[in-house]
Amino acid sequence: MNGAAVLTLGLDIVTTAAILFTVATGLLIIFGVMKIVNFAHGAFITLGAYAGLVASELGLSPWLGLPLAFLAGAACGALVERCVVRPLYGRPLDAILATWGLGIIIGELLTLVFGREVQFVGSPLSGTVDVLGEAYSVYRLFLVVAALIVGGGFAWLLGATRLGLATRAVIMNEDLARGLGINAGWVRFITFSLGSGLAGLAGALITPLSSVDPNMGVPWLLNAFMLVMVSGASLGALLAASVLLGGAQVVISSLASPILGGLTIVVLAALLLRVRPKGFAR
Amino acid sequence: MSRVFLVALLCLAAVLAGPLLLDTYTINILIRSFLFAAVALSVDLLWGYSGFLTFGQSAFFGVGAYAAALCFSQFGYSPWIGLLSLVAALGAAALLALVQGWLSFYHGSTPLYASVVSLVVPVVVTQILFSGGIFTGSSSGLTAYDTPDFEIEDWFRIAGVFMVLVTTVAVIFVRSDAGRVLVALRDNEARCAYLGLNTARQRILLLVVTACIAAIAGWLYAGSSGVVAPELAGFVFGTELVIWVALGGRGTLLGPVLGTILIDFTSSYASGSLPFLWKLLLGIAFILVIVALPQGLIPAVTGRLRRKRAENVVPGLAAAKPRPRPDPDQVAIYLDSVSRSFGSLKILEAISFKARPGELVSLVGPNGAGKTTLMRCLSDGAERSGGRIAINGHDIGTLPPYRCVGFGLGRKFQTANVFDTLSVAECLAVARVRLHLPSFWRRADTLELPQAALDILRATSLDQALATPAMLLSHGQKQALELAMVVALEPSVVLLDEPTAGLTQQERRQIGGVLTDLAITHGLCLLLVEHDLDFVREISSRVVVLHQGRLVLDGTVQDVIASELVRTIYAGAAHG
Repeated sequence: MNGAAVLTLGLDIVTTAAILFTVATGLLIIFGVMKIVNFAHGAFITLGAYAGLVASELGLSPWLGLPLAFLAGAACGALVERCVVRPLYGRPLDAILATWGLGIIIGELLTLVFGREVQFVGSPLSGTVDVLGEAYSVYRLFLVVAALIVGGGFAWLLGATRLGLATRAVIMNEDLARGLGINAGWVRFITFSLGSGLAGLAGALITPLSSVDPNMGVPWLLNAFMLVMVSGASLGALLAASVLLGGAQVVISSLASPILGGLTIVVLAALLLRVRPKGFAR
Repeated sequence: MSRVFLVALLCLAAVLAGPLLLDTYTINILIRSFLFAAVALSVDLLWGYSGFLTFGQSAFFGVGAYAAALCFSQFGYSPWIGLLSLVAALGAAALLALVQGWLSFYHGSTPLYASVVSLVVPVVVTQILFSGGIFTGSSSGLTAYDTPDFEIEDWFRIAGVFMVLVTTVAVIFVRSDAGRVLVALRDNEARCAYLGLNTARQRILLLVVTACIAAIAGWLYAGSSGVVAPELAGFVFGTELVIWVALGGRGTLLGPVLGTILIDFTSSYASGSLPFLWKLLLGIAFILVIVALPQGLIPAVTGRLRRKRAENVVPGLAAAKPRPRPDPDQVAIYLDSVSRSFGSLKILEAISFKARPGELVSLVGPNGAGKTTLMRCLSDGAERSGGRIAINGHDIGTLPPYRCVGFGLGRKFQTANVFDTLSVAECLAVARVRLHLPSFWRRADTLELPQAALDILRATSLDQALATPAMLLSHGQKQALELAMVVALEPSVVLLDEPTAGLTQQERRQIGGVLTDLAITHGLCLLLVEHDLDFVREISSRVVVLHQGRLVLDGTVQDVIASELVRTIYAGAAHG
């Protein structure tokens, strides 16, 4: 393998890790705070992708599609938290099922409105840029920046704001936090809305790389779910998991076969959990 | 039981006569519905009964279907090839189930992790099918292979009979003594392990059996439809199965079977006229059921399937043949410099003592002295960080709890630890499973218990409440029930963590009497954690005092009472 191929592989690993991190963050934050797995995450990703599609069909700037996607996801998440998720705290397996049911509903509604067919959204940034003499997609590199903004934003929100303090308290010991006057219900509501909004944003971010269809979220959901399982409630662990497992995915896809590559994350994560139940979390 | 056979016979007659009354289109759809219902039944056994939420039964269905389709497309059809493909289907499914089970179930695995693995399995199987090129037909699957030369009506009868038979066997099984163990696993897996049951092996066995049911259904599907596609093994079909089971009513067997037939049958009509709306309605119904009606739609409407449990026959109690008294020269509990630490934090340090049969040793010490940790180390080989422990002369090494129970150990937890949805009699029966392999097809009408367990039941009037579900018992009765379950194991060493916590004075006296009786009359070795020093004084033959993870005193009750050290420890003034 020559130097150029190695460079491309390296860039692929970095950008893939960034994409996985962006897609999984929303799921992680919900799992961390609420101890439930939001299986509607894939549907929120799809919803965000369609929000981006609508924005581009209305002739809006493609950049405007991103906040729109976030808002669509967050609004939908807020509604869902109030109506469906709230009664299911303390029944984590049932919450998985109910949110999966929600995912089906959202998917069918999207199908009713937009139809079944695959659609494409233009990229806000097209063309390539020279990285050490190799032409590489500008948009993929932009996704690394986006991941850094999302991760940094969350770290700031958790580490430097009152809401973040309350959230960390709820993560560590919900009963105690409630006893200290923290409105845990409110923290959960905000968390679920934010997490859903992030899923929507991630959906709009990834669509220029692939296409939009009502079931596009499911494979992303699976990978994000496995990454969150090995990361516990830690953003740092999620970053490590995205780089290592995403890196393994890229390497296996390019050296062996894309189909094996598609299995890398789920299989490696399951084996890792069998050997080390805490995964990447310390 | 005879009612089960009567209903089964009626259903058999119905599926055999069905083709005479139904049109071809309906027959075609119902074949598929019957087979899906059999897979849904397997999901209900796993999820509704044993509490393992699985998204992966579709993988076994797919394996069965592809085993048939691959064999038929490679070798054509003959009865021998048919048999060969069926054996291949069962073998492959069982092997896959073993791998999945090994991954999912081990001492310390969590339900969420098992569900995660169940999700990975269908994803992997589908991807393998996708990557199979011409051999597996990749994304379009396999069609136009030779199939057994049956009429569509015959397939209807085969699928129908298969479904009715599997359902009947499953109903008989879950009502049997062995089937009850599934519910015990669902309610409280840790308690099962401490009753000496190898829970991982039981779960893996159940998974293998249900995988075989799904594989046969898949094999019949491939034979009857002549088409297979990777989606049959997929994760989405796996979740659909869960949805049907939830709507039909988990943990009822008949609910999921009827629900699946009804939903799949309606789907194929409805999806023609209003395809997306139907799935939308199904999704909404599913969420409503999960949130508001966890018992499912069919039981909610009929209100019948569940209530049957209430009219359970209560077995008569009988005394089991007494075991010989433990050899008084055998050291029952042996600890040699046992330690437990978390990083640099030392919970237990260099604990060594022995206890013999017939002794009632109390373990006392202030909160945080390491008493409960010591109990945990004694009953689970993986718990301690260093030192050696032997129970009745058997080194426990790093063996899991059920193996320690095999050496004659019984452990009663601090908080009453019983099987909530089982009745008192059923809880006790589960405790006897280790000693007597239960029947897989019927319920015993007598329950043999050691005399000591009967005494506990009589002293606490639990023998009058044998049919009461354990969750309805009072706190004291639950404690007594758990103690009776532990004694029913016929152990020679019993660990008891605060058996009298939260009990009334009278209950405390009764339990105290039972404990001294166990030690003196039956020659058991009891190790007791207790805070109530008056109680300790009344019943113990020896007292071991722990303080800050170290053994500070090992002597008679008189020694402890006289000890200046113990007084300062409890007065909180001990330093250095």
